[in-house]
Amino acid sequence: MTRKVAVFFSPDGRVAHVKRNTSLWEAAAQAGLGLKGTCGGAGTCKRCQVLVRDGPALEKGTGLPSGAGLVLACQTLAAGSVTVDIPQDSRLAEHKVLLGGEDVLTESDADLGRIYRLQPLCRKVRLTLAAPTPEGNMSDWSRLQAALRGETGCDTFRISLPDLRRLAETLRSGNWQVTATLVEAAGCADIVRLEPGHSAGPALGLAIDVGTTTVVVHLVDLETGLVLGKKGTYNKQARFGDDVITRIVYATEQENGLSQLQETVISVVNQLVTGLLAENGRHRRDVHLAVVAGNTTMIHLFLALPPAYIRLEPYIPLAGSPPPVRAAELGLAANPHAVILCLPAVASYVGGDIVAGALLSGIAQEQEVTLFIDIGTNGEMLLGNRDWLVAVACSAGPAFEGGGITFGMRAMQGAVERVAITPESYEVTVETIGGVRPLGLCGSGLIDCLAKLCAAGIINRAGQLQMDFATPRLRRGDDGPEFVLVWQEEAGGGKDIVLTGNDIKNLLRAKAAVYAGIRCLLKAAELEMEAVWKVLIAGGFGSHLNIRDAIAIGLLPDLPAEKFTFVGNAAVKGARLCLLSQEALSEAQALAKKITYLELSAGSDFMEEFVAALFLPHTDLSLFPSV
Amino acid sequence: MVFMPIVEKYRSKVQEVVLGATRAQGGTRDFTVTVGGEAALPFLHYEGQIPHRPLIGMEIWDTAPADWPACFAPYFADSFRDPAVWAQRCVSGYGADLVVLHLKSADPDLLDTSPEHCAAVVSKVLNAVGCPLVVLGCGKPEKDNLVLPAVAEAAAGENLLLGLAEQNNYKSLTAAAIVYKHTLIAQSPIDINICKQLNILITEMNLPAGRIVIDPTTAALGYGLEYGYSIMERVRIGALQGDAMLSMPMIGNIGAEVWRTREATAPAEENPGWGEQHDRGILWEATTAAALLQAGLDIVVLRHPEAVRLIRQNITELMGGRGV
Repeated sequence: MTRKVAVFFSPDGRVAHVKRNTSLWEAAAQAGLGLKGTCGGAGTCKRCQVLVRDGPALEKGTGLPSGAGLVLACQTLAAGSVTVDIPQDSRLAEHKVLLGGEDVLTESDADLGRIYRLQPLCRKVRLTLAAPTPEGNMSDWSRLQAALRGETGCDTFRISLPDLRRLAETLRSGNWQVTATLVEAAGCADIVRLEPGHSAGPALGLAIDVGTTTVVVHLVDLETGLVLGKKGTYNKQARFGDDVITRIVYATEQENGLSQLQETVISVVNQLVTGLLAENGRHRRDVHLAVVAGNTTMIHLFLALPPAYIRLEPYIPLAGSPPPVRAAELGLAANPHAVILCLPAVASYVGGDIVAGALLSGIAQEQEVTLFIDIGTNGEMLLGNRDWLVAVACSAGPAFEGGGITFGMRAMQGAVERVAITPESYEVTVETIGGVRPLGLCGSGLIDCLAKLCAAGIINRAGQLQMDFATPRLRRGDDGPEFVLVWQEEAGGGKDIVLTGNDIKNLLRAKAAVYAGIRCLLKAAELEMEAVWKVLIAGGFGSHLNIRDAIAIGLLPDLPAEKFTFVGNAAVKGARLCLLSQEALSEAQALAKKITYLELSAGSDFMEEFVAALFLPHTDLSLFPSV
Repeated sequence: MVFMPIVEKYRSKVQEVVLGATRAQGGTRDFTVTVGGEAALPFLHYEGQIPHRPLIGMEIWDTAPADWPACFAPYFADSFRDPAVWAQRCVSGYGADLVVLHLKSADPDLLDTSPEHCAAVVSKVLNAVGCPLVVLGCGKPEKDNLVLPAVAEAAAGENLLLGLAEQNNYKSLTAAAIVYKHTLIAQSPIDINICKQLNILITEMNLPAGRIVIDPTTAALGYGLEYGYSIMERVRIGALQGDAMLSMPMIGNIGAEVWRTREATAPAEENPGWGEQHDRGILWEATTAAALLQAGLDIVVLRHPEAVRLIRQNITELMGGRGV
């Protein structure tokens, strides 16, 4: 038998009881302390540094006692009970999540109602049945179904075995009055709850966006359509890797990897749901329905479907449009019989989140051509109008979310989101989220920074730092040339905040991938950029997006600023629409089938476009006349 | 019915680039040469003007080449040790339009000669011949960044064609070309995007586009010539369609590529079916060059005098009997 050892974390005062020789990283996760990490515990990103203060710790691989000073938590094993300090730098900080507030497409709930009729997927039906007689002697279940048929128009009903076992008692105790909560989807009605008598209790629903980086939940009253509350947090799966690929690898190659990933995301959702319910004085038994939007991989992990073949050519998901499941099967904080619907995906790399975004943006209703861009770790783009829709996906990398950037961070307190550089003296001023001392840069800050460095001539169009400039901010660091954005005296982390030559390369690759995707999409549709009437940008890389700077670096096409709209989190709002409207759900399902997916890896166009875009703003300067 | 060829109309033409400078122009050359200026695809005279014929540069080294096959000895053996003599032989003996001096000796892994030594070699060759001179560094960026500025300074005003500027190493060479009035070879690795990006970077340092010659890089026949060919073709079509950053004339370093292939150098005993190495090597070089002329090369750099003769004849025919 393996003896458990205790790992104490200071200064949090938390303790994890783990098997001997468990990595400190896993122990921290078990203690509920998220550590930074983008490599999935491979020991390569070097972000999970901790200090072993006391106790026997071994180096993974060699089995030698670990050295003094900072060690990598993922590469250090607890050989006995140990005490570990987690420096501020290594912690996952509180996360700022786009909740979809006032900055977004100015759709109020009333507007949504105008597009799609309020016809929630879930409703309460209050029935009065005729009591059985010697002549009217059909079974209780048939009696209930007959009444429901008259009331709903549905033909087939499903009931859980426990509810069926209680049915006779339920009907009789309510004196043949009964309240059935139904979830109607795909021509079939699920009886998710049966209450004796005519119950006035609410029917609640959840709209859930499971993003690679963030998770957002809206709590919705299904009878009124009102949003009772919104909450968002960081997807703690990030500790298993920053992007979908590392998570697929983790799920596939680690023992219990898939269940770990699933439990993690469910616990994140549950934490949000429980909070929302508590704040609104509601009970989880009244939550009967959830609609989930996420990229294809996230949905696989949410349902614990093995995602292995998404990653391998020819990139086949296990299920693009998974069947509805019950809350109890997932362990979701809701009525155990509640129905969980995942929005259908288009392909392995164009998921239900994009379908939700497409639904919300109304792209399929417009006569004019709209371009919808979701800039995340994977960039997805959708182009079309009411007659046709084409989608592509490309791996932009996590740069705009802070991954792979020395001082990159997600959009949270302390993240630099605006940068200004004075032309002559190369002095830098920054603005941070929360107005606190800067800790690093989030996506919008990085975009700003790149544009300003190029404008000041500190980097050339190829993104190379020009070391002959006379400023102490340009210097050679451990990773080659770097530019000091914030001196340590002004920084929150006590270290100079720098942008290195490699960081710039990663950013260039990310922006080139997005732009190349847009170009391929337009090429496939045989359209010029000018034919795009409206550009909708979704994504969580910051609380705002400076369109001018994004064009200046060639991330976005050079179109007039008024054509752009930053929609923030489109996925959760699209999911909410489906929750509230049968029509919207059918539309989403139709959209997933209607969207043509263009596989970029199939031709050489993407690579060609990608290389052409690895320049500021682009090798073809005529594409950016205003820059 | 009279046959009427379809005539393609182009928006623009290739930039003209002058190489060398006479005494009146601040140099010491007997004459200058002009490359580029084409207003049509290669040799399609009926579509647009092709004002200058492609030029042949002959490659010489500043140190005796150890790995050149024996078939060069009858032509050069006595001159290998002196680049000035070698250059003269190329010009007066074999009719080279340009001498391409490769400063191999500067290579830190070879003789590691000093920038001053290299500058002196260049001066010596300039004194020996009257044609414009192309000077290439040893190919190691750190060393070339010392050698080429020294050469540029020593030959100030001569309007050398200096190379190679690359994407990761173009600044010191561009600066030297601007200050000492030379023309630059911008080399990109068979990649039209990098080709264009490099030209943008160089012109943004204020070297005029008319002082750049593109080396799009190529391989020898049988070693991926097609890739080089198609990039050259795209560069040329880009120029004719009005892309200013692709509008420079092109140079191709063909001899160096060909004479390291097995097909050009393997002795007849190894593969009797291949025929004599001497003829085979020459034809390999000439065939590679003839193909790339069709892709739009303006300067072919060759090694063997017999290949030079064949290509000169080929160019003369393609130019309708004009030139040479």
